[in-house]
Amino acid sequence: MLGNGIRAHADVLPGTLDLLILKAVSLGPLHGYGVLLRIGQISKGALAIEQGVLYPALFRLVRQGLLKASWGASENNRRAKFYQLTAAGRRRLHKETEGWNRLVAAIGTVLGTQPEEI
Amino acid sequence: MRILSTVRTFLAFVFRRPRVEREMEDELRLHLQRRADDLEQQGLSRAEAERQAQVEFGGYQRYKEECHEALGTRLFGELIVDVRYGLRQLRRSPGFTAVAVITLALGIGTNTAIFSVVNTVLLTPVHAPEPNRVVAFITTSRRGSSSSFKFPNASEIKFNLWREQTSVFQDVSGYRLDSLILTGDDQPQQARAIFVTADYFRLFGLPIAQGRTFTAEEEHPNGGSVVILSDAFWKRAFGADSQIVGKIISLSGSSYEVIGVMAGGVQTETLEPPDIWMPFPIDPNSNNQVHYFQAVGRLKPRVTIDMANAQLQRTTQEFRRKFPHALSTSRRETFIVQPMQDVLGKDVRSSLLILTGAVSFVLLIACANVANLLLVKGAGRRREIAIRIAVGASRGRIILQLLTESVLLSTAGGVFGLGLGVAGIHTLLALNPSHIPRIGPRGSNVTMDWRVLSLTLLVALITGLLFGLIPALHASRTDLNSGLKEGGAGTGSGFRQNKTRSLLVISEISLALLLLIGAGLLMRTLIALRSVNPGFDPRNVVTTRTPLDPPLAKVSGVDQIVHNVFRRLSVLPGVESAGFTRLLPLAGDFNSVPIIVVGRPLNGPSHGSARRMVVSASYFEVLKIPLIRGRLFVDADRLGAPGVAIINEAMARQFWPKGDPLDSQIFIGKGLPWLDEPARQIIGVVGDVHDNALGENPQPAVFVPAAQLSDARTAGIPVTWVIRTRAPSPSLNSAIQNELRQATGVPVPPLRSMEEVMAQSTARQDFNMLLMSIFGGSALLLAAIGVYGLMAYSVKQRTHEIGIRMALGAQKRDVFRMVIGQGLRLVLAGLAIGVAAALILTRLLSSFSHLLYGVRASDPATFVAVSLVLSGVAVLACYIPARRATKVDPMVALRYE
Repeated sequence: MLGNGIRAHADVLPGTLDLLILKAVSLGPLHGYGVLLRIGQISKGALAIEQGVLYPALFRLVRQGLLKASWGASENNRRAKFYQLTAAGRRRLHKETEGWNRLVAAIGTVLGTQPEEI
Repeated sequence: MRILSTVRTFLAFVFRRPRVEREMEDELRLHLQRRADDLEQQGLSRAEAERQAQVEFGGYQRYKEECHEALGTRLFGELIVDVRYGLRQLRRSPGFTAVAVITLALGIGTNTAIFSVVNTVLLTPVHAPEPNRVVAFITTSRRGSSSSFKFPNASEIKFNLWREQTSVFQDVSGYRLDSLILTGDDQPQQARAIFVTADYFRLFGLPIAQGRTFTAEEEHPNGGSVVILSDAFWKRAFGADSQIVGKIISLSGSSYEVIGVMAGGVQTETLEPPDIWMPFPIDPNSNNQVHYFQAVGRLKPRVTIDMANAQLQRTTQEFRRKFPHALSTSRRETFIVQPMQDVLGKDVRSSLLILTGAVSFVLLIACANVANLLLVKGAGRRREIAIRIAVGASRGRIILQLLTESVLLSTAGGVFGLGLGVAGIHTLLALNPSHIPRIGPRGSNVTMDWRVLSLTLLVALITGLLFGLIPALHASRTDLNSGLKEGGAGTGSGFRQNKTRSLLVISEISLALLLLIGAGLLMRTLIALRSVNPGFDPRNVVTTRTPLDPPLAKVSGVDQIVHNVFRRLSVLPGVESAGFTRLLPLAGDFNSVPIIVVGRPLNGPSHGSARRMVVSASYFEVLKIPLIRGRLFVDADRLGAPGVAIINEAMARQFWPKGDPLDSQIFIGKGLPWLDEPARQIIGVVGDVHDNALGENPQPAVFVPAAQLSDARTAGIPVTWVIRTRAPSPSLNSAIQNELRQATGVPVPPLRSMEEVMAQSTARQDFNMLLMSIFGGSALLLAAIGVYGLMAYSVKQRTHEIGIRMALGAQKRDVFRMVIGQGLRLVLAGLAIGVAAALILTRLLSSFSHLLYGVRASDPATFVAVSLVLSGVAVLACYIPARRATKVDPMVALRYE
């Protein structure tokens, strides 16, 4: 599922990794590797990140109070650290998503502009 | 909030670091395993899958670091690494570490020592509730100016007016100290008494453990004979008798009821803790003008010192109207209050300030020395630092790491210094308490509290940064190429660095010179004081103090006690003569009384005041005070015979600049109810005696024979016996003590020699001089080490050059001279700067009164002598390196590179 997507595609835009993590976790508690899988899954392998980058980002989000971490058992019964969205995280995700959509819309409009429209 | 969360992170980091580390490791490992599992399922071999997982993950260590950073713990991590690394470095060179720590301990310890005294004397609040509202009453000449005359004593007429100022004062209390004799079934013993007016206990918040304080009636004249015991005295004299309240005890021949016992451990702001508290009745209608006690007050809430002083300004006007002659108009005297805390430490503030300055100089010298050591060490570490820079350490990182090392050193120095300082100052204070107020018996109040502790830590921290910064900046400037290539060899380690080191040594020398000049001036002061002719012959004179109390002596009159004492002493072989005085020279306060010369116009300027001394007829003979004119007292000058008086030369000069005092009669203390007596005929003039202090000019004094005072004026009042012996002998002393005990019926304090009394009078100057000499000596030693270190290093560096010189024909003599010359140049530069600074700073020394005596602040002899000593020591410090330079073998030196 993650397939070759990891190396093959464009880098994640700077600053958007946090947003992707929040979104992935918002769909249900995940451990680190799970976050990576889910991002790969929902982007259909279109977004690639170097895997190690994920962890500093997760630690940062926990420190900012957007994620909550707790230890539990993984699918194959290994001890794993699960991340979960906090209320603040949910608000942030909402806000950032709106911001992102506005930005994309704006840039889309700009890029879609035809010469005769000016 | 931010700080709080940082602190929390830090604490979590310190205490939970292993767990955080382990969990992080677990999490990342799990990721790698899961990825490898997935890759394996896609068909890779396990080994291949694991390798692939690693590659996809990226830099494992780097991401772990970043995780730490994300947690906010990276800085702490570095700090801990730095500390560990620093400790390892210091352990690796124990010699350097020991020298540096000892030097710093010396520098920091002296600061701790002086600060702990400053803390106790000047900074500790008055022992009272809301201490900043407690004020002392003072009569002053002009407001504001520091050099103005300030008189801390109170008279009854002043006190009565002060306590009426209830608009600004909540409490006003008078108190005075005295010594009484407790008699009973046991041995009689001395009791230090403090007489206090009603408000005293409330003002100082003194808690009573048993019984009660004085009632309003007991505060009135003839109100009641009651006494409150101190906890210590209750235990010492009454064996902690639980039934003591209500019992009658006998003090100096009168009976008193014990009405209470003070709680233990109360602190009073008196030089020595009192044994008993007694009511101090002051008649509201009194017209007694004698200044014989002190007054304190508590400001009302929200009343400032300025408001109180404005009110006292008006009070002064009222006082002038009521008692037109009681205040000197020429001095424009006025009443003021000052914070009690300022008044308590005022005698020693200037000395303590000077000593604080001195110890900070010692610390600076210590810093310069350690900085120099670090510079040398830094030169040896260039290779190590170059490698660290090469593998990517930033300059800031290197500086931080080197500073961590120096702060480690200074912290170690601070810890040792704290112990050294506190122990040292206790030893010194126990040796010489020097009448410093508030420090408690043998300095027991000087303790290590949070202020001393935090100041020491702060000083240690600042010290570490101070001496560490220059070497760290130097080391971090290491040029990568040369640093790696040179391999740390001694050549070319920088002209700039040697210049820095020379500047450090020069400043050390100038600071040491400053301290030594200070010590020198204080030494000259002490010598000058010691060589003052006191006006009497102190050799072979012993003294002690007892009251003349007929009931205790079981005789009917004071003259009988005196007679018995003289009779008993005269049979002791070895006793030459004996006498007594109320006030011993150089041992206490003297009060002046008004003098009126009979026959001169009453409102003219030819009257004045003089010290009144009550003495036995034999007093002058015992102390060998020379008779200048007329005659001394004889046995016939007794009660009923015509009143006579003897004056000193100072009085003769002031009152009879031209005429003959022996023709005159004077009234002594006219207008003072307790002194009202007919005029006395002046029968003699004696030489001046330095009564107050060796450093003060003798004041006019008038002597009155004790035999001409009635028992009502003398009974119960303590006198000081002066006994001249043929040779000093301890066994004779105890015999004298015993005879006095028999004749007076009271316990006799141990005898002191008059020479001891004189030495005691300069105890504070002694103390200043002693401390200043210790600091000066330390400075000299440190500066010598500094010079030696620099020269030794420089000779080592120049081995090659010296070798060439010798190969080209330079003689050993020339090399020796060259090295000494180099050292001497530094010393001379240091001396020049030091002398210039000293000329400015010593003026400060002389601006504080009583610090210098008989020597000018710019005393050339001191300056020259100190400069010579310092240069001598410095040249000595150059001597060993210079000798080593002459031993350089040209062949070896040339091959050396």
